[in-house]
Amino acid sequence: MINLIRSEVLKIRSTQVWFWMLLLAAAFTALGTIGNVVNAINDHDNGAPVDYYGVFTQSQGAGVALLVLGLLGLTTEFRHKTITPTLLATPNRWQLLAGKAASYAVFAVVYALICVALNFAIAIIWLSAAGVPLDYGHGVPGGVGKAFATLVLTGMFGLGLGALLRNQAAAMVFGIVYFFILDNVLNFVPWVRKGYAYTPGGAIKAFNSNGHLEGMPGDVHLLAPAAGGVLFVIWSLALLVIGGRLSLSRDIS
Amino acid sequence: MTASQLAASPREAPDGRIVVDNLTKVFGNQRAVDSLSFTVEPGSVTGFLGPNGAGKTTTLRMLLGLVRPTSGIATINGVSYQSLPRPLQTVGATLEAASFHPAHTGRQHLRIYCAAAGLPARRADEVLELVGLAQVGKKKTKGYSMGMRQRLGLAGTLLGDPRVLILDEPANGLDPEGIRWLRGFFRHLAGEGRTVLVSSHQLAEVQEVADRAVILNRGKLVRAGTLGELSAGTAVTVVRGPALGPLQQALAGAGFGGTTEPDGALRVRTDQLGHVGHLAFVHNVELHELRLEEFDLERLFFSLTEGEHRGANLEQPGHFQPPFQANQQGGGAR
Repeated sequence: MINLIRSEVLKIRSTQVWFWMLLLAAAFTALGTIGNVVNAINDHDNGAPVDYYGVFTQSQGAGVALLVLGLLGLTTEFRHKTITPTLLATPNRWQLLAGKAASYAVFAVVYALICVALNFAIAIIWLSAAGVPLDYGHGVPGGVGKAFATLVLTGMFGLGLGALLRNQAAAMVFGIVYFFILDNVLNFVPWVRKGYAYTPGGAIKAFNSNGHLEGMPGDVHLLAPAAGGVLFVIWSLALLVIGGRLSLSRDIS
Repeated sequence: MTASQLAASPREAPDGRIVVDNLTKVFGNQRAVDSLSFTVEPGSVTGFLGPNGAGKTTTLRMLLGLVRPTSGIATINGVSYQSLPRPLQTVGATLEAASFHPAHTGRQHLRIYCAAAGLPARRADEVLELVGLAQVGKKKTKGYSMGMRQRLGLAGTLLGDPRVLILDEPANGLDPEGIRWLRGFFRHLAGEGRTVLVSSHQLAEVQEVADRAVILNRGKLVRAGTLGELSAGTAVTVVRGPALGPLQQALAGAGFGGTTEPDGALRVRTDQLGHVGHLAFVHNVELHELRLEEFDLERLFFSLTEGEHRGANLEQPGHFQPPFQANQQGGGAR
């Protein structure tokens, strides 16, 4: 399995996509942090410290980059027919899928480290310059841990979605349209939004919510953070298993 | 040999032996491969031959675990490909000339599979050198010519220094220089005692390097054996002269069948050059040419399939005529 992960990591590193996705993740994180910091400075009472969790970007933006990387994981193999030599090197298809998931987890951790560091650096420098003290007391370790977990799971979600759809263009369009458009539309459509809590987007929001649900309609009740996390794990694993079952059990011809 | 016997005796299988046992693949209502059985012995170059659509690639994909057989079993070293503990170190296979990510260099492509197989990264450079691609190893594969792609595919098969090589249409798209190189490459591999299974629709090309041949047509085995076995009983003597009528009658009287080619040459089904020459002398027939025709796999294939592939996608469609259509018994699959 170590050899397989090394091979898959090398596969990702051998193109420039990971670098552009990292830039995208960093850009989302920086923009999110700047927005949070500006809000924090505007809202804070003189002398009172700002809760760091309030300026933490929670990495959903960076998750888009991991989603794209994950989507490319298998669809690229089918598009360029490299699935044939890949399966010749690793004939066990479930092992291959597990190896790919593990390699995206490696990238997710690296992305998360960079995004969290960037978030922290921007926040601490800007807030210090503005004379606003930071308070690290409330849920910061948990929040950072959730950022890591969200990115890891988003990579797996993308990998599973790619396995399910196989067609690279279709998977990319669906994945991006879902998280950028549909997810925001679903929680405002009457009746539909009652089930929003159980969608992947709802699960991620619940997982990272820490009890704060700004911008959501009043009758949308997200799950508890832990339940949201478990639900997103289920969504990611289910897509991986179903996608793997449908895609990799087919004849490679 | 049954599937259970194969499963029960993996250790008894000689190193590098390929066994295809009653393999069948049905796509929809089309039987792409139909009850196919043959073996490939270690230390030989075996041509896996047939026209496009004969089922060669499907068979190889079943052998390599990429396509699930409808029934039957295919093994290497007595086990299925998926059960090989170190697949790339046991079998080197290339099935498509374009299985590369265009943004990867040839070297990166090979290093990825080195990593997967637990091989040192320097092995990629070694095999690039071996196939003559060392100079372009750092070039992206999207800039490779078809010949370079074929060579890169072959380099991939050599990564794990396997005893078994399975190559699907490796000469496709190669220029004459590339084909000459490929012949030398096969001879080199065979000289090292490896088992080489080469599929091709270019029968004449494979004949140059193969020890054995498995001939496939419409998913079924037509014939298998060494080239010597396949050529047995197919000898043809070619006779040319200004007036061969009396000789043709004498040959028919002596029990030799034959046909007259459009250019006037007489093709006689015998290897008894002396006998033909004697009859010509006795009947006072002037000869300009009397020779034994070299064995031709392509001609054999056409004769075995009774011309049904004349004009099919073989190397020179329609160039050859079945030599003895009237007398042909057809070759039984072995």
